[in-house]
Amino acid sequence: MKEALSLVQRLNAHPDSRCWFVSWSPNGALLASCGGDKAIRIWGREGDSWICKSVLQDGHQRTVRKVAWSPCGNYLASASFDATTCIWKKKNDDFESLTVLEGHENEVKCVAWAPSGNLLATCSRDKSVWVWEVDEEDEYECVTVVNSHTQDVKHIVWHPTQELLASASYDNNICLYKEEDDDWECRATLQGHTSTVWSLCFDATGQRLASCSDDRTVRIWKEYPAESGQGESIYLSWKCICTLSGYHGRTVYDVSWCRLTGALATACGDDAVRVFKDDETTNPDEPVFSLAAQVNKAHSQDVNCVSWHPKEAGLLASCSDNGEIAIWRFQEDK
Amino acid sequence: MAGRMVEDDLFDSILLAEERFRGEGYQEGFEKGTRRGLQDGRRHGAVHGARLSCEMSFYYGFAVTWKCLLRHSTDAKSRKRVKALETLLGLIQSSPIDDPQSEKLRDDMDKLRAKFRQVCSMLSVPADFKDYIRVAEGTSF
Repeated sequence: MKEALSLVQRLNAHPDSRCWFVSWSPNGALLASCGGDKAIRIWGREGDSWICKSVLQDGHQRTVRKVAWSPCGNYLASASFDATTCIWKKKNDDFESLTVLEGHENEVKCVAWAPSGNLLATCSRDKSVWVWEVDEEDEYECVTVVNSHTQDVKHIVWHPTQELLASASYDNNICLYKEEDDDWECRATLQGHTSTVWSLCFDATGQRLASCSDDRTVRIWKEYPAESGQGESIYLSWKCICTLSGYHGRTVYDVSWCRLTGALATACGDDAVRVFKDDETTNPDEPVFSLAAQVNKAHSQDVNCVSWHPKEAGLLASCSDNGEIAIWRFQEDK
Repeated sequence: MAGRMVEDDLFDSILLAEERFRGEGYQEGFEKGTRRGLQDGRRHGAVHGARLSCEMSFYYGFAVTWKCLLRHSTDAKSRKRVKALETLLGLIQSSPIDDPQSEKLRDDMDKLRAKFRQVCSMLSVPADFKDYIRVAEGTSF
């Protein structure tokens, strides 16, 4: 079965700088990117190509590391090395700064909206994860500060259906958090990676979690119900059911699980973009993933992020240290 | 018989002299070191204990004051803040400050610092404890 990843378009998104992250809006009409030039760019489709619709320039004093769309698509959150998180509100084709969330001691590494739209999580080099609540008047308030990691927290992601938060850190661990009486607490620590965990992604149903690391592997984790006979435990039990090793030449910086097709894309420090697919016939508790496509010089420098389009199957965006965004089409031979 | 023993002792006292002196020296040094260690340890403990209780008492005073300031506010936001302040006070009261080796103390201090940061964020006040301490040291009469 020959599958291919073909280039659709290259965008010189953040000239003379790094492009750190790309994120599709929930309906797929827009793509947000952010970079070392302290700016956020919004890209939209015009005919067959993508063009820059607006530039959000003055929101931050330092690199913007990640951007995240609210589930309704009307808000954009940006996490910056200037220790703040900015919330932008969409007004027609433009965005205006609504509020700035302060509190982290240093660089904010990630921001993520919960599927409910009422909660926002941020994480930072100060080793903490903050959970914020949004009320009807667009007011944000911090509800919890959790310090479960012993080092820089690189990424956080929400479960697609449950109120569950996952974080990845320079301390090689992944932590899972659940709410207990208004306070978020760490309910499980997933150990296995032998170096920094850079990114995480849940699959469409949230039953499995993919993680990628500086140890050049991608791991797949699955939740197992607590063993019977031990009574009700508040602690969660997740096990590593698959490790993809030997495919990546350098650090794997990002992993993205397509909600439509189940394909797994990775962004690597060896400048390549790879797509993996799992063999549907194998035991779901012991999946076998195989390399379905690879583009070796996807970018001329490290690939920092990959993101599948939420509505159009096979459309993938990637971005790199060379400031570029690339849009790809993944075609499977049926 | 007796003659031979005197001869052995004579040579022994010369040959084993170094070992004997080393042994006595070690013993003397060990005792001195123990005393010195106790003094250093006590001083270190005093400094560390002062720092820890200074920080904890700061959070206590901070929480009690803010609870007082918010006692007449009935809106939902203030109630959430008072609840967070009460959690902060609860953590302080249940903390085993008398047991410096306690794992729970270490965990509680982490939770306390995190809760303090959250409360400061809710109240929109700066959260750096070191800032407050610096201000106190600057006071002069």
